[in-house]
Amino acid sequence: MAPSATASESLSPSTTVDTTENNLQPFFVLHRARSRKSEKKPTGTWKTRRRIDLSPSLPKNGENLDAEKAEAWDDCRHVSIRMEAFDDVWSKIKSTIKDVLRDVNTNVFNEIHHWVRESFNMITSFAIPTFPEATGSFPMVTDAASKQLFTGLVLTKNMEFVDDLLTFEELGSYLKSQGCHVANLSSLEFSVKNGIGGCLRSLLRQFLMVTVDAADVSILATWYREQGSCNYPVVIIIEDMERCSGSVLSDFILMLSEWVLKIPVVLIMGVATTLDAPKSILQSNALHHLCPCKFILGTPPERMDAVVEAVLVKQCSGFGISHKVAVFMRNYFVSQDGTITSFIRALKCFQIACAQHFFMEPLSFMLWFLLGDDNLMLQGEKCGLSPELMLKHALNLPSYQSYGRNKIAKQHGETLVNGLAELKKLQCQWSIVILCLYEAGKCDKVTLLDLFCEALDPESFKSRAPDNGGGLENDSGVSSSDCYKHQQYHTTRNSGFICQAVRKLRDLPAVQLRKLLKGWEKYTVNVPQIHDKVKKLLSEMKFEDGKSLGQDLSTISKRHSSRKHLKIEDSKAVNEKAAKLLESMVRNYMQPLECVPFHEIVCFKNVNALQTALIGDPRRRIQVDLLDVRNIIRCSCCISSSNSLLPSMHDSSIMYTLAQEHGDLINLHDWYQSFKSIVICLSNKGKHGSNYSPSLKKRKATTEPAKPSEASIQARFCRAVTELQITGLLRMPSKRRPDYVQRVAFGL
Amino acid sequence: MEINDGEEEEFEFSRNYFLAKELAGSGKKSTRKISDINVVDEQELRAAAANIELKHEKEINSLVNSYKSLYPKWVFELRCGFGLLMYGFGSKKVLIEDFASTALTEYSVVVINGYLQSINLKQVVIALAEIWWEELKTKRRTSSGVSSKFQQPFNSQSMDDLLAFLHESDVEENDSFVCIVVHNIDGPGLRDSESQQYLARLASCSHIRIVASIDNVNAPLLWDKKMVHTQFNWFWYHVPTFAPYNVEGIFFPLILAHSSTAQSAKTAAIVLQSLTPNAQSVFKILAEYQLSHPDEEGMPVDALYTTARERFLVSSQVTLNSHLTEFKDHELVKTRRHSDGQDCLHIPLAADALEKLLSEINQ
Repeated sequence: MAPSATASESLSPSTTVDTTENNLQPFFVLHRARSRKSEKKPTGTWKTRRRIDLSPSLPKNGENLDAEKAEAWDDCRHVSIRMEAFDDVWSKIKSTIKDVLRDVNTNVFNEIHHWVRESFNMITSFAIPTFPEATGSFPMVTDAASKQLFTGLVLTKNMEFVDDLLTFEELGSYLKSQGCHVANLSSLEFSVKNGIGGCLRSLLRQFLMVTVDAADVSILATWYREQGSCNYPVVIIIEDMERCSGSVLSDFILMLSEWVLKIPVVLIMGVATTLDAPKSILQSNALHHLCPCKFILGTPPERMDAVVEAVLVKQCSGFGISHKVAVFMRNYFVSQDGTITSFIRALKCFQIACAQHFFMEPLSFMLWFLLGDDNLMLQGEKCGLSPELMLKHALNLPSYQSYGRNKIAKQHGETLVNGLAELKKLQCQWSIVILCLYEAGKCDKVTLLDLFCEALDPESFKSRAPDNGGGLENDSGVSSSDCYKHQQYHTTRNSGFICQAVRKLRDLPAVQLRKLLKGWEKYTVNVPQIHDKVKKLLSEMKFEDGKSLGQDLSTISKRHSSRKHLKIEDSKAVNEKAAKLLESMVRNYMQPLECVPFHEIVCFKNVNALQTALIGDPRRRIQVDLLDVRNIIRCSCCISSSNSLLPSMHDSSIMYTLAQEHGDLINLHDWYQSFKSIVICLSNKGKHGSNYSPSLKKRKATTEPAKPSEASIQARFCRAVTELQITGLLRMPSKRRPDYVQRVAFGL
Repeated sequence: MEINDGEEEEFEFSRNYFLAKELAGSGKKSTRKISDINVVDEQELRAAAANIELKHEKEINSLVNSYKSLYPKWVFELRCGFGLLMYGFGSKKVLIEDFASTALTEYSVVVINGYLQSINLKQVVIALAEIWWEELKTKRRTSSGVSSKFQQPFNSQSMDDLLAFLHESDVEENDSFVCIVVHNIDGPGLRDSESQQYLARLASCSHIRIVASIDNVNAPLLWDKKMVHTQFNWFWYHVPTFAPYNVEGIFFPLILAHSSTAQSAKTAAIVLQSLTPNAQSVFKILAEYQLSHPDEEGMPVDALYTTARERFLVSSQVTLNSHLTEFKDHELVKTRRHSDGQDCLHIPLAADALEKLLSEINQ
């Protein structure tokens, strides 16, 4: 991103309004919104201006493309176009993910609903409140058996409840759509501080849409009786039971069980650990009112694969990610989230990827084209780009320079459209092959995410390309030097997931193989070349089956064993053929996105941007700031000397560097003396200071009159300590140790 | 592979820790005191602290200016629904406020100074609701009539209602919001989990965007995954400025001014001077005893009573106890259990501080 024009204005404290008074306000209004921009629709004047801007720069032919880029793309109009594109794409992804996740859980949801209805029938079968009973503001007096509270324990199998928030939201709206009255409560409502009033208030808010100060359960009972249809249960979903306060939850359960005949409540609780959890959290008197039932949600890997398939492989958004980004995302799941992959992470990764992509790639609006909006030129016009400029920009993309030139005829105008169409086609084939691989790998517990990462690797594609000679299996035959060079890929390939899937195919039983081929048949409908081969394989299988079946019927049992042997041989042959087919598919049709011309338009590659945006690492980065100040400030005075401390350096930086030489406790007196000697040494001894090793912390401060006064050095020392205290890198002196501060961070 | 890296890091960390520990325990642990530094008078120190000249002013300015090119990007990310989180060494107050007042002019901006000691978030949310209400009014005047079911005054509404109002989703235009800037979202006034929960809920409202800064290296510990991923939706930016923490550090005591004996003696003297002369005299007995018996645990209670009664300072145990309660409340006196089981009274001040104190109240 080139610096924008505004950077020339200097930003000094004086440019901001005098805010000394505001600084001590807990909060203040900085400014009110200016009247909204009225450029919702592109105006004619704007367009002409843009044209005028661009025409003189065209003949230069990419000389100062960067500068031109900066001014041409940095237009606010452009931003709003891209904003629109982002909204389009992201809303699409979001709804896709939502649908996919709902589909994963459909069965469980149905099951839960069924159980809710059953429980409701049970409750109403106990007793139906008579009119005076129902209108009284106290619970009905009944036997203990009817005080049972039907409780669904939903095992989330997740360490992080954040993954399940959406699930419970979905469950809530699903049950609502079935007529139930649903309220979602979280552990926040079950805090000791708010007590049982907190959850009641939240319930009343959700059911009655009012806020009541004196929350009382009788209000809820009245509401239930008065809202007319008493044919539906009240479902209360508690998202994360383990995080609730046990006593409050117990009270809540006791209260509900008292009232259950008047308010037919069915409880659903998300349990992250095991079924024993209620026992360890709830009090025993609450526990024996529960009538539990167990449900299990789809496992995280299942959900993860579903998301990957819908969003990344099938490319609902029309754009993809590079191999590096994919690997980063996968490692992020594995190493940051433990073994449980949280799809929320993926969701967020993707959201960031989208936003970043739309910001950085000027031509990214062409996604619309890939999404089916065929009138590319029109879109370009809308963005104020002339067709020539678009084309020029596209032809300058490195991928076109390296891959595209030989393949696509250089016909102006047509090139881009053709190139994009080709891209679309290749992407489609690529995802089909992945899905076929996944289908095969499924039996061997290969996750789609792993396959996906491997399939995106451009290097391994290059090495297995047809003109490279080797198929998948021939890889071991490459010459030793070559082998050494490609060792990394070589090993990943032989033990890789693609290979594993292919291998699995060879020893798949016939029944499964047929199922698998049927799946392939479905996937490959749009690619006739593969589709025909799959069909042929299927018919071969059928034929063999028919043959062996017929023979089995006609032959007598004495030849049975040899027949059987033969049959196995036959089916092995089909397996082999299927494996060969898959191999050829991988070789011929699985071209990673990064090997396709014009991929920059739709491919997000900037792994660093993603990483820094996603994982802030304040603990390390702030320390690096302090220890490596000269590289960030880049001043002429400090950069000259190699590693020693100079008085011209930032005070806090000097102090923190000095602190590194102390143990976990820093004696303030020593620290001050070494700081003082650093600060005044140059003014006394000139360049000699650079020869000092800062480790001589016991060095006596020279008594010669130094330039900075004692008071100012002490003040600077105090301020540096304060600044380090703000960063949290120091713990202040305690009463027990009044002369020491404590270091908090050790190493980066 | 990654797991190995993690282990390596872990190892590196523990090694560093033990090295540091070892360094501390390696015999020549310095026992020098702060009082060995010839600390200048507090007034002078504060004056000097106010006048510290900024090093590398030019470079810092150009560093901060270099972030200006990121402004359009930041706006874009805000509009996409992210929250911006700025970190890195140096005060980011000027930077963020400059960003807000130059690049976010189309949106109302409310600034929360998280570095202050106490912040009433309810008041903030009320202010936000009022601003949003006015924006809705001007917007709907042009399109249709005001249809919101929420009515002013917001003062009497609960936090939930206010947040619901800010989260109302039936507004036609999606891309309009009020932006809150939180300086030091990890600051002392916001560090408790309740405030963070409110901030997170606020940040997740559809008509609110948040730009915040953190300075503490451990700030991320304030949030769980729900807050980080679904509510704040942070987009991290490393923007070190090296600008001095002038405002942020205003409530931090100067380390050399605070911990000196002069300071504690002074506060004790102020407390004592507000007490009755008799109470002062009782305290003096205690102080003199402590100075003359430096090795003892403290003065036994009945010894104090006897002496005080002899000097006609107290008439009964009850009066003495009321004085003692006063002392204890102001932490002038502490009780210690003597080895023979007797309760002893003890002034938690060093001998030199105590002498200073005595001379001050004798004046």
